[in-house]
Amino acid sequence: MSMLSVRDVSKSFGGLQATHQLSFDVEPGEIVSVIGPNGAGKTTLFNLITGVYTPDEGDIQLEGTSLVGRSPDQVVGAGIARTFQNLRLFTNLSVLENVLIPQHRRRHVPWWQAVLRTRSYREAERVMHERALEALSFFGPRLMSFRLHQPVYVLSYANRRRTEMARAMATGAKMLLLDEPSAGMNPKETKEITQIIRRMRDEGGYTILLVEHKMNLVGEISDRVIVLDYGRKIAEGAYEDVVNDPAVLEAYLGKRSDDASEEGAA
Amino acid sequence: MSLVTTRAAARRIPWGWILGLGIPALIFVRIYYLVAVAGERDLAFFLGAALQAMQLGSLYALIALGYTMVYGIIRLINFAHGEVFMVGAFTSYFLFTLAPFALPWALLWSALLAWGVTFVLNLWRGSMRDPLVLAGGGVAFVAFAAVLSTSGLNWLAAMLLAMLTTGVLGVVIDRVAYRPLRGAPRISLLITAIAVSFLLQNTGLILFTRNQTPYRPGTSWTEFLQFDVAAGTVYTSRLVFLIPIVTAILVAALTLFVTRTRLGKAMRASAQDAETAQMMGVNVNRVIATTFLLGSMLAAAGGVLWGLNFGSLNQPAVLGILPGIKAFAAAVIGGIGSLPGAVIGGVLLGFLENFVTALFPRTGDFPGLTEYKDTFAFALLIVVLLIRPSGIVGEDLSEKV
Amino acid sequence: MPGERPIARNTLLTLGVVAIVGLLLAWAQGVGGAKLNDTLALFAIWGIAALSLNLVNGTTGILSLGHHGFMLIGGYVTALLILPDSARQQISSSARSAMTPFTLGLSVEGAFAALGLQALTTPGTLWVRFLVALLVGGLVAMVFGLIVGIPSLRLKGDYLAIVTFGFGEIIRLTASTSLFAPFTNGALGYAGVPSEFGKSLGWTFALLGITLFVLTKLKFSSHGRALQAIREDEIAAEAMGVALARHKVMAFAISAFFAGIAGGLWVSYLSAARLDFFLFFLTFFFLVAISVGGTGSYTGVLMGTAVVVFVQQYGDPLEQTYPLETWFALVGALVLAAGLGGAWFRRRTRLRPVWHPLTVILAAIGAVVLAVALLAPNWAPFDGTFQAFGMRRILLAVLLITIMALRPEGIMSRAEFSWAWLLRERTAEPSDEERAQDAWLSNPDLNRPGGAADAGGAGDAGDAASTAVGRYDYASDHPSAQGDPLPRALLDEDGPGAHPLLERGSKPRDVQRYGSAGDPAFHEDGSEGAPEGVPEGAASGPDPEDADGAAGDARGDERQDEHQDERDDEGRA
Repeated sequence: MSMLSVRDVSKSFGGLQATHQLSFDVEPGEIVSVIGPNGAGKTTLFNLITGVYTPDEGDIQLEGTSLVGRSPDQVVGAGIARTFQNLRLFTNLSVLENVLIPQHRRRHVPWWQAVLRTRSYREAERVMHERALEALSFFGPRLMSFRLHQPVYVLSYANRRRTEMARAMATGAKMLLLDEPSAGMNPKETKEITQIIRRMRDEGGYTILLVEHKMNLVGEISDRVIVLDYGRKIAEGAYEDVVNDPAVLEAYLGKRSDDASEEGAA
Repeated sequence: MSLVTTRAAARRIPWGWILGLGIPALIFVRIYYLVAVAGERDLAFFLGAALQAMQLGSLYALIALGYTMVYGIIRLINFAHGEVFMVGAFTSYFLFTLAPFALPWALLWSALLAWGVTFVLNLWRGSMRDPLVLAGGGVAFVAFAAVLSTSGLNWLAAMLLAMLTTGVLGVVIDRVAYRPLRGAPRISLLITAIAVSFLLQNTGLILFTRNQTPYRPGTSWTEFLQFDVAAGTVYTSRLVFLIPIVTAILVAALTLFVTRTRLGKAMRASAQDAETAQMMGVNVNRVIATTFLLGSMLAAAGGVLWGLNFGSLNQPAVLGILPGIKAFAAAVIGGIGSLPGAVIGGVLLGFLENFVTALFPRTGDFPGLTEYKDTFAFALLIVVLLIRPSGIVGEDLSEKV
Repeated sequence: MPGERPIARNTLLTLGVVAIVGLLLAWAQGVGGAKLNDTLALFAIWGIAALSLNLVNGTTGILSLGHHGFMLIGGYVTALLILPDSARQQISSSARSAMTPFTLGLSVEGAFAALGLQALTTPGTLWVRFLVALLVGGLVAMVFGLIVGIPSLRLKGDYLAIVTFGFGEIIRLTASTSLFAPFTNGALGYAGVPSEFGKSLGWTFALLGITLFVLTKLKFSSHGRALQAIREDEIAAEAMGVALARHKVMAFAISAFFAGIAGGLWVSYLSAARLDFFLFFLTFFFLVAISVGGTGSYTGVLMGTAVVVFVQQYGDPLEQTYPLETWFALVGALVLAAGLGGAWFRRRTRLRPVWHPLTVILAAIGAVVLAVALLAPNWAPFDGTFQAFGMRRILLAVLLITIMALRPEGIMSRAEFSWAWLLRERTAEPSDEERAQDAWLSNPDLNRPGGAADAGGAGDAGDAASTAVGRYDYASDHPSAQGDPLPRALLDEDGPGAHPLLERGSKPRDVQRYGSAGDPAFHEDGSEGAPEGVPEGAASGPDPEDADGAAGDARGDERQDEHQDERDDEGRA
């Protein structure tokens, strides 16, 4: 059974058809990239999967159970976590707290036990700390040691991205949706994040769906690439095949020079 | 796999149709019952109730316009707007009753008011060197000093002057309290607005009165009126005509201003997207100041008409807050950010309070709905926000992911 | 935080302070006089209410304005359940009473008698009955909190604020309607509520302590983190699995419970329950306390409460009768102050000219008025006196407006008072070794915004890579580049002198105002004074990425040479 299956999903805002009859599958352990020009519906697709929007029609299933109609937090509970294109960290909280928060759902003890600091609460808290450090250590010592207790707003942009990815991993999800994980990173950091995404799959066992504009990153790590344009899937397959597809060239690569200037507007 | 209809799509209930047709139908049934079956009331009674509902609704609409304009541009629930309304009502009261003031007070007030007028003109014209600014300030000083040291204004003149002073007050509030917080979290702005509201309430208690005050400007408009229709006699007052007409004139003037003038267009542009408007050369601060000026002027007009309508003013701490919050509810019901929405919402709320309570009068053990009428606005507000946050005609202002 | 902190010492210190406070309170109750006693009791009662409001307003970030409604419920329930028989008889014999025999019969005493607990119905055990009544009051308020919260907490931000305000008013307005008048006795309320609890410092402070304990433990727990996540970013919190509605309702219900407790103590303090004791001003006072003390900081809220209570209790000179010329002088002084304050504000926000004609005119009006009042106090129009009731509230409102304009995060912002903070333990301060490692990790050569393009094409690896990607301009993707003229360093600043607690909450405004978070002088020292062989970051403290950003934006070419040196140093090391 495929990890994620999207079936004929359509969503429109007023007159704008953001996605139209979109269908694809993601197999367990795959890294799939979604690319497409700005406004192609990539972020809308993420919002549909994670329950921020409800599709007008169609179905989205995670390992056979439908996600349609679930709220974002229930989708996380089902096993899909995401990062955001324009960083949505809890900026006044520390790095560690940011990574502890997503575990609250799974290691929940009643609030009065938390107030009284009962044994089961302390145990849950210990496990949460361990898991948080585990997720953060994925990124090397960068976010460890003294950074743990620094509030997020003092971090550099790249470190914030890393924190956000660690936070998504800490939800205990099986599948991660990364919305432009390398946005705002320099080539060295992009390379590093490429390796980290691969390690997430290889060592962490996550299935990964990502939206990305940097084609070298996409080409390097994707098992499969899905190309969207105006809410429709126009191509799907291996990176080499897709980039040579005439439809894709017309829709996407023909506009390549625009990307740098318009990035972030999608 | 076949096309799966989502649960969300299946769940979508046509609330608009249900409420839009259902409620009038229920009202007709109830009227039919009361008139034809129970025979407790005649149709003329309901005609009178409808006229009075229109009258109250117009007042709410006047206040609601200020809320909706400010919310449309800076996304602030101007909690102090109800107090601005209160200040308008009391200013007009003082203008037609208490004047003449003793010399020091007259001079002090006219100096401050003239300063405010200069302030607003300066915001508009952009420079103190502009002759219009200086001339306006000077004329305002002389005019205010003259008015405040002579007695007995006509209610219409009092209304215009109260509109002017209250408009200036609105602009000063924006400059002093809200403008330092542009770009701050909206909640901070709301807390400031609450503080301003509290400040004005207590200042009103000190400056105006601590008691309920009779409001009788000596005009024939408040006289009792009765006329016969086919179904009976309607008992009301002449205000039934005055208030909706004044409201209609003011709303028409506002609409013309917003659609036809440069500043009005800048206002609509800022409501769409203040940042972009700023980049296109719109002076957003001036637009916001104008918004406060117009909203406060309308609120002051509402205050005068409110006084005429009820024949008395509640004490300052109570007068502003309840009509203010109800008018805000009206703005939300109509669709916040939309001028026609505010009018529709106001009238709707007026009908709910006056007409629906008339449908359920006190009979025997049943105490009637009148004592609950203050809660209708809140209940409707909550229902509208939960079912259709964009209101009847408004657009969705929720946050994008 | 890791468990390295000396917990035993902190506990001892806390217990010591509690003991000292207890002794001081005992002294205040014994010999301090009625006024001091009342003030302290009021502080404790309002403190409970303000703390509970802060759980919702500060920690969860929901602006709730209906707190007085929950206090009303708690207060009336407590009062009704504890009302002595004499007071009940007075109500039932009154012609205007709206109460029924059934509602008049509701009391803890009656319930205990019915349960056969005769020992608990004696006058000596009144405190047990009061405690039960207080608890029931809190629980009923909590139930109303759930009733209010479940529908309205689906809303967000200011809409939610207005709806909670609406509910607060609905509670007060419907309490006197014929439906609820049998319970509340309409506008008359109850008189004769036993006041020995609400005015007892032992009782009120014990309950304040419990409230503080529960709420701070809650804040520093997994639940508290979830609530703070909601405050920081609802959308992200939901995307991280925090069930918004459930947590908001939880916070709301706990808050309503403590508000109910505070309401119960409040009626006992006033020894009566009337609807006009529960007006919006209560919520407003708590809002002032929270905003002044620091949104989200419980210890800060207690400081704010102290300010509010002080103004309320000792501000009566403001509201006494004074001759008219004094008021005239006051108005003049205020107008003068407004003019000068305007000039000060223009100077602070760098508006020119500082002495704008409008501020000069305003100051002049004020000066003239002040001068007239001072020079001609016997002028005929000044005959008479005037008493300004409400000056205290005006003072508090002005305080709130000022705080919101100048320091919206309050005195303590989100930090809590703690022993670690008091004893200057800087847990978040990195060691030199850590800094060096951090510097090595973020190799400055590759982390320069804009690649080497800024530096005049000194080709290095970063430059080559950025060309390969298609001349992507990283700097333009950075938040600092979006319409903000700040050098990147100031946005990402680690703050060499950043205080572990006090700097924490004061973030966004300060940083954007070139303020305290980044001290440019530090960079100068660090880069110029770096000893041979030590990477720059190790010596200067701030993240080298950031130091480098500053170099790229602020100083540009001349710094480039230093980087070359640094690389050499690192190569050797």
